[in-house]
Amino acid sequence: MERKQEERVGESLTLPNLSQSKPAVNQRSKMTEFVRRKALQILPSVTLFVVFFGAWELILRLADIAPFIFPKPSDIVVAAQGNWVNLLGAAQATTTGALAGFAISTVLAISMAIILSLSKWIEKSVYPYIVILQTIPIVAVIPIIVIWFGAGIQSIIIVVFLISFFPILTNTLIGLNSTDQNMKNLFYLYNASRFQTIFKLRIPAALPYIVAGLKISCTLAFIGAIVGEYMAGIGGAEGGLGQAITVAATRLETPYLFACGLTASLLSVTVYQIVTKLSERMLSSWHESEMK
Amino acid sequence: MERQIMTRISSQAEAAAATGIDRHHPQNLVELKNIDKVYPNGTVAVERANLDIAENEFFCFVGPSGCGKSTIFNMITGLTEHTGGELSVLGTESKEARKENEIAFVFQEPTLLPWNNLLENVSLPLKLRKVPKKQRHEEGERVLELVGLKDYTKSLPSQLSGGMKMRVSIARALISRPKLLLMDEPFGALDEFTRQSLQDELLRIWSQDQRMTVLFITHNVFEAVYLSSQVVVMTPSPGRISDVIQIDEPFPRGENFRVAPSFSQYVQSVTSSLEH
Ligand SMILES: Nc1ncnc2c1ncn2[C@@H]1O[C@H](COP(=O)(O)OP(=O)(O)O)[C@@H](O)[C@H]1O
Ligand SMILES: [Mg+2]
Repeated sequence: MERKQEERVGESLTLPNLSQSKPAVNQRSKMTEFVRRKALQILPSVTLFVVFFGAWELILRLADIAPFIFPKPSDIVVAAQGNWVNLLGAAQATTTGALAGFAISTVLAISMAIILSLSKWIEKSVYPYIVILQTIPIVAVIPIIVIWFGAGIQSIIIVVFLISFFPILTNTLIGLNSTDQNMKNLFYLYNASRFQTIFKLRIPAALPYIVAGLKISCTLAFIGAIVGEYMAGIGGAEGGLGQAITVAATRLETPYLFACGLTASLLSVTVYQIVTKLSERMLSSWHESEMK
Repeated sequence: MERQIMTRISSQAEAAAATGIDRHHPQNLVELKNIDKVYPNGTVAVERANLDIAENEFFCFVGPSGCGKSTIFNMITGLTEHTGGELSVLGTESKEARKENEIAFVFQEPTLLPWNNLLENVSLPLKLRKVPKKQRHEEGERVLELVGLKDYTKSLPSQLSGGMKMRVSIARALISRPKLLLMDEPFGALDEFTRQSLQDELLRIWSQDQRMTVLFITHNVFEAVYLSSQVVVMTPSPGRISDVIQIDEPFPRGENFRVAPSFSQYVQSVTSSLEH
């Protein structure tokens, strides 16, 4: 059965006009249509990828630039293969730090936003200080964190937390405060308690905002982890990508440095995609209009 | 015509007998005595409004926008306080009255929770009162059936048309079998066909209930005449109740009434009263 369908797909791919003209092969043309649309969707980005890396490789080859100044993609691949174990270990360490810090800031930021939104008075008095804290450059804070907590994973998690906390907090607060006035009146008129209004109305209504904050913060978490490792990392094999980048830079292992950087962006893109997919699933039951 | 009047009288008498209330000396659900409302910014929204609202009536409030219709509703529901006169709702203050769960509301927007299915949406008032799930779902199914949506219990609001959403909103209001139903321009955003069929449905539900009083805001004179037993005419600056016109046409009403000479007479008298 499955095989038959596959054959049909192959067949209709080669004969698209024929399958469209016959109503009997409606199903088949639908499949073709699906495959074709998917292919068209990813085609531009795949082309761009090939063109970009191809041009990179070609230009550097023609210009004959030394790999330690500007490595070609092929140099990067070779460097990554040669240091496979180190790269994997570093990626794992960075991911652990980033995800741990991200999880902590998610929980704390959402809880704090809820507490702040319980009372206008609290929010008005606390929020300005949060804004001020947010403006302090993280690079200035990291040395203090290292002095207080020592170099190592704990400091890295704190750096990640600091960098990914505020977008979630701010977004959640905006979401909690933007509940439709008619909805609030409805709850008020049906004698809802403050607790009910928060949990049955304001938090669910804020979900799209919370999700937007999570999306911003999950990529920031990787930046935080790498900056943290760079400044507060631990030596040796346990260090993350930030550490590996420092070491590679001092040794002029530029191809490996590039490999580390690309791995970092690959990781954060992957986590971003996961967060996006999870949130889409969470929100799919409602807000269909607002999602688009 | 004469026969219709006869049936109206007899059905009234039956209704009165059934509910144990004498229609001619009913207990007032809402009483406004010299009610003033001045907003903090100095706007005089309502001035010296007097009105008695009895049980089992259908009151329509008509008037141009800004004449204080919503303000009167907000005072009755306790969303805002009156600044002068005496207001009694269900024999007490508006905020106390609301706690008895005898008052329900329908706004111009359907105000449904987009993340809840229809059954959860219509049973929200019971959920907020912590009524057990089984009971509130039974009631939810009852009211969804009442508005013709019993096959949609698991649907989400985003899957519905504007008219259907408004039906859900009405069902939610009916779930606690209210004595007083306040509707603020509920059909204002609907097309004419949907509006007329919802008018008929609302009248059907109201006459079946035999107890509920509906207060209905509209700026559509035709709608007001078609629906109500009494039309409250309001004029702006300052907001005043200028007239209360009784519509002596038997229920149930249908297409016949919309084209009857008496209908246009009523429309004319409401319109001329609006112009004063
Ligand atoms: N919260 C408010 N503060 C100040 N003025 C208001 C407020 N609400 C309504 N008004 C004013 O009161 C008057 C009556 O408003 P409203 O009752 O909403 O009229 P309607 O519902 O008949 O259109 C209008 O002039 C309006 O601008
Ligand atoms: Mg209004």
